[in-house]
Parts: sequence; structure tokens; C-alpha cells
Amino acid sequence: MVLDQLSGDVSGAARPAADAPSPARTASDAGGRRPALLILPALIALAAFFLYPLALVAWNAFTDPTPGLGNFVWFFSEPANLATLGRTFTTALWVTAVSLLLSYPYAYAMTVAGPRVRGLLMMLVLLPFWTSLMVRTFAWVILLQDTGVINQLLGAVGLGPFSLIRTQTGVIIGMVQLLMPFMVLPLYAVMSGIDGRLLPAARSLGARPATAFVTVYMPLSLPGVSAGCLTVFISALGFYITPALLGSPTDALISQQIFTQVNGLLKWGRGGAMGVVLLGLTLVMIALLAVSLRRAGRRVSR
Amino acid sequence: MPTISRFVAVSAAAASLLLAAACGGGAPAPAQIDLGSGPAAAGTVKKDALKDVTLTFVSYGGVYQKGQQDAAADPFAKESGARVLQDGPTDYAKLKAQVDSSNVTWDVVDSDAIWAQAQCGKLLQPLDYSIIDKSKVPAGLATECSVPAMQYGMVLVYNAKKFGANPPQGWADFFDTAKFPGKRAIPGVPGDAAPGPWEAALIADGVAPDKLFPLDVERANKKLTSVRSNLVFWKTGAESQQLLESGEVDMAMVWSGRAYAAVKNGAPFQVQWNQWMPIMDAISVPKGAKNPKAAMAMINYYLGAQQQAKLTELTSYSPVNTDAKPALDDLGTSFLTTRPEVASKATPIDSKWWAANQEAMIEKWSAWLGA
Repeated sequence: MVLDQLSGDVSGAARPAADAPSPARTASDAGGRRPALLILPALIALAAFFLYPLALVAWNAFTDPTPGLGNFVWFFSEPANLATLGRTFTTALWVTAVSLLLSYPYAYAMTVAGPRVRGLLMMLVLLPFWTSLMVRTFAWVILLQDTGVINQLLGAVGLGPFSLIRTQTGVIIGMVQLLMPFMVLPLYAVMSGIDGRLLPAARSLGARPATAFVTVYMPLSLPGVSAGCLTVFISALGFYITPALLGSPTDALISQQIFTQVNGLLKWGRGGAMGVVLLGLTLVMIALLAVSLRRAGRRVSR
Repeated sequence: MPTISRFVAVSAAAASLLLAAACGGGAPAPAQIDLGSGPAAAGTVKKDALKDVTLTFVSYGGVYQKGQQDAAADPFAKESGARVLQDGPTDYAKLKAQVDSSNVTWDVVDSDAIWAQAQCGKLLQPLDYSIIDKSKVPAGLATECSVPAMQYGMVLVYNAKKFGANPPQGWADFFDTAKFPGKRAIPGVPGDAAPGPWEAALIADGVAPDKLFPLDVERANKKLTSVRSNLVFWKTGAESQQLLESGEVDMAMVWSGRAYAAVKNGAPFQVQWNQWMPIMDAISVPKGAKNPKAAMAMINYYLGAQQQAKLTELTSYSPVNTDAKPALDDLGTSFLTTRPEVASKATPIDSKWWAANQEAMIEKWSAWLGA
């Protein structure tokens, strides 16, 4: 599977720099000689509750109401659908980019901070992570609305009011906050495996601090960047609650249009086709990323 | 590897058990029931006629379903001996899944009335009006597959602090952003299209309220587009109420029940009843329900004058029995859409046209919203 390859590459690329034993190796040793037995329960659960329903959805896409490609023809011939698909991908890209920009320095700070500050930073990432998605999204409604906290504060210093809720900006703000832990944690995992002595070494060879960081540190952190970006991007593609509550129906994402087809119109074939298109495009993205990652990994090890 | 194969066998057995349980085979055959002789009378059921019968009532939760439970479902259970379970919220996709797989666990379902009309004979079954007494249901509201669950309205509300001196008189003023500047909220419920925005837009564009149908959607959308920058779309009733209470909008097209709740919570809004649009929920019995006679006996009980009066007292929605005499405070009374002085101001909605065209309308509405 592509995903296996990907995670293999992540640890593989980090290994040259890490002086601790590879975590992947330790895990497989603990599994003993029968790893198949250990993953069997998960496989069965996956087959019964994920693969089987997924197959049903795909089956619906090609057979409901009549067998054939009708649902896909419909999907690609409606400009509104393509606009929604495009909007879904651009929103997910924005969310990924903003998350990365905010998380990279944060994760780096975690690696250079002392144990106490690091613990605090870790808590700051994990606390919201443990809070229900609904609670956090409703909190954003209260913060972002026209008469909300943010606009009141801005109003007090003579700015605004800005339209934050029911806009794509509001959706991106909410989604970034919800998804940031998925960016910070893999970044931190990889960065904490990078040998801290490499930067002084580069500088002792004459590199300026910025050059040392960009040419030595950043390439080594790339596996974390890709793992984080991939997780955030794919999660963002399928987000439903947050865009539904923070966005306007005018900027609906594909998950909301699937809801319209499945629950409003009871057209399960069309809903299924939209799901299949989204899944297909996501798999293509993963494959592209896996390929580019392997190239990058090879460059680093050379 | 013997261990693995034994493990596989055990897991496979467990999985198949699980699947069998999920498919719920072996449902009991409909019990033989005797609802008594003579014509049905709304609000009554033969004592202990439904011992050993279990019914599941499905509605939208919250204050509304609690009111339905206290006013009708629980008293019905007590008198008939049936066990009545509550489930929800009503989800059309779930109902379709139940009907398609011939495993219907919902017996009495509260839904949108237009949807119920559109699904008559598809997901819902015709009602037996020898079991259900509809003589006290307001004329024209009981249909082949559904009776009304309650009545309310899509109403124009305005901020009385801002427009109190010179309030908007109807939908024309709602669309007049020069005379009445400010944001207005209208429904934009995903996957749904219902009477409201288009009718209002057409009235504002000069169409006589009794000449609205068939709706000229193109014309209505043009009118809506002209004020789009002033529009805010609410996706749930709770959101519409929140918009009023937080003062995000100065005018809104909302469900009367939500307007009532917002005003009760202190939002400075008033209703302009002129040109309001009647809407209602309906109750019906899904096709393939295990015990349709018992389900219809429950619907008959639900329609009683006492039950309806209590439902109104608990929920603020208007009763669907013409004899119902709810005891309400002044605010509650002012929101009753069944009062003659309110009823006379309504814009007539052609629910048959809506039922026949709803699917196409949902697509057109979604397309306009997403444009």
C-alpha cells in the first residue's frame, strides 16, 4: 500500500540523523514472529465497518438508480459540482499551508526548549485536541460572529467590524485550529530526531545561521512536513461540521453537497459518486506525495 | 499455523453473529389487535388494546419532541398498554435505509409536511381513516399518507429598536434595502428547499400573493440576487434564533417557533404577521412498519383536543384540532397562527405543487445558494 510506503519512508529518512534506535524496528520486535495475528482484529474491524460500507457506496455510485456511469456524467457536467470540488481543494490547501506556517516554528521551539517549557507547549497542543470538535467549533462561532469577541475587541481599538463568520476565511481559521495538532505532532516527532549538533557543525564549516538552517535542518525535517501536510490535507478534504457551522451555504464544501444528495434528495447514487470522486482524487494526491517524498528522501540520504 | 486459523475461525464466527444481529432477523409478526368497534374518536384509544405492542415514535428532539411525548405519546402508552419508545432526529436517509432493507424500526414519524406528501406511497403508507378521526383537523391539512403534527409559520421579524417607529409592512419592505438598511437572515438549510424565500421574493417583485404558483424560480432568484450582499443564511433553527438574540441581523425570515423563543429570551424583535406563510410538520407511518394499525391508533390519539392543547402549551406551536383550547400567556397567545386575525393574513402556499416539485426545487435552490 502507498501509505505503508509513506510511513516507511518517514522513518527511513529520519534514521541517518537519529542516534536513537529506530522506533519502527522496536515495534516489530515486540510483535514477535506473528505480526499477522496482532493485526487481525483490526483488519476484521476495518473490513466489516469500513471496507464493506465503502464498497456499498461505490456500488451505489455505479448502479443507483440505473447501472452505468450516469452519476459520474452528472457530477462532471454540473458546473456547480466542479466549483464545489475546486473550492474544497483550495480550502484544504489553504488550511494545510497556514497550519504548516504556524506549526513549523512551534514544533522547532518545542525541540529547543527546556523540558518544562516543552511540556507546557505540548499541553497547549494536546488540550484543544482532547476537547470535543463540536465544542471548539461552537466556540469559534461565538468568537467570529459579527457581534462576537474578536469584532468587539477590534471595535474597541477602532477597527472593523470584519465579516469572519459565514466566510471562507472563518472556515479556514476554524479548521486550522482543529487540525494543527496533526501538523505539530509529526513535525515534532521528526525534528526531535534530528541531531542538534548538525547546525553548529555546518556553521563551523562556514555557513551562516540561515544558510545552515535552510540547507541542513529543513531537508532533514521534510519527512515530518510531508506527514503533517498529508494528514491535515486529507482530513480537511472531508471536513463537514466546521464548514457547515462556520461557513455559508454559498461556500459549501463537497461533504455538504454529499449530505444534500444523500439526506435531502435521497439520491444515494449521486452521493456515492461524489464520494468516489473525492476518494479517487485523494488517493492520487497520496500517490503523488509518496513519489515526491521518496525522491526527497533519496536526496537527503545522499 | 494452527493458532492463526483458529483465531480466524473464531473471529469469523463473531463477525457473522454481529452481522446477523445487525440485520435483526426474526422480528415478531404483527400482533393481532382489537381497537374496538364504532367510529374512531380523536384523542381516545381502547383501554389496554395494545398490550405487548412496542411502537417507536420519531421526531426532531428538543422541547418539541419532549412536548409530543408528554402530551400524547406517554399518555397513549399508559392507556393503550403499548410500550412507546422515542427516537430521533428524523433522518430521511435513515428512513429510506429502513424501508429499502425491509427492516423498519420506526412506526410513527414526524417530518416536514411537504416531504410527507411527496413520499406518499414511496417511503410512507396510506393512512386508514377508519382508525384515525380527522373530523377535527383543520380542513385540507390531512392527506392520504399524513396528518399535521402541529402548525407554525415562516414569518418576517424585525428589530423593534431599529425599525419600531416605522416597521416593515411585508416582504416588499424586507427586500427594500434602501428604506430598511441592514442585514437580513433567510433560510439556507443544506439539502432542503421549502416555502419561504422564493414566495417572499416574488411578492416583493410585484406578484400577487394568490398568483404565486407555479413559482417563477428564475424571477425569484433574480430578486434574491439583487439583495444578496445583505443576506445571511441560517442552516438550523437554533442558528436563526442565535442570529436574533445576538443582534447579528436587523430583519429575518424565520420559523415562528424560533422567533417566539428568541423574543422570550429578550431579543428585541417583533413579528410582522402580514403575508406570513403557513408551514407544518406531519406525522405518518413508514411503508413496511411492523404494526401499522397500532401506529395509526397512536396518531388518532395524538390528534385529540386535549392532547393538542397540551402540546401547544408545552411547545408554543399551534394545535391541529379545532376544538383545542390551550391556556397560554399573552406572548404565547400572540404567536398562535390559528388565531383568526393571524390566519387571515397568511399567504396561501400550494403544498401540492411543492410536493410534486420539491426535488427539482432543492436542486435549483442548492444551485442558487452555491452560485
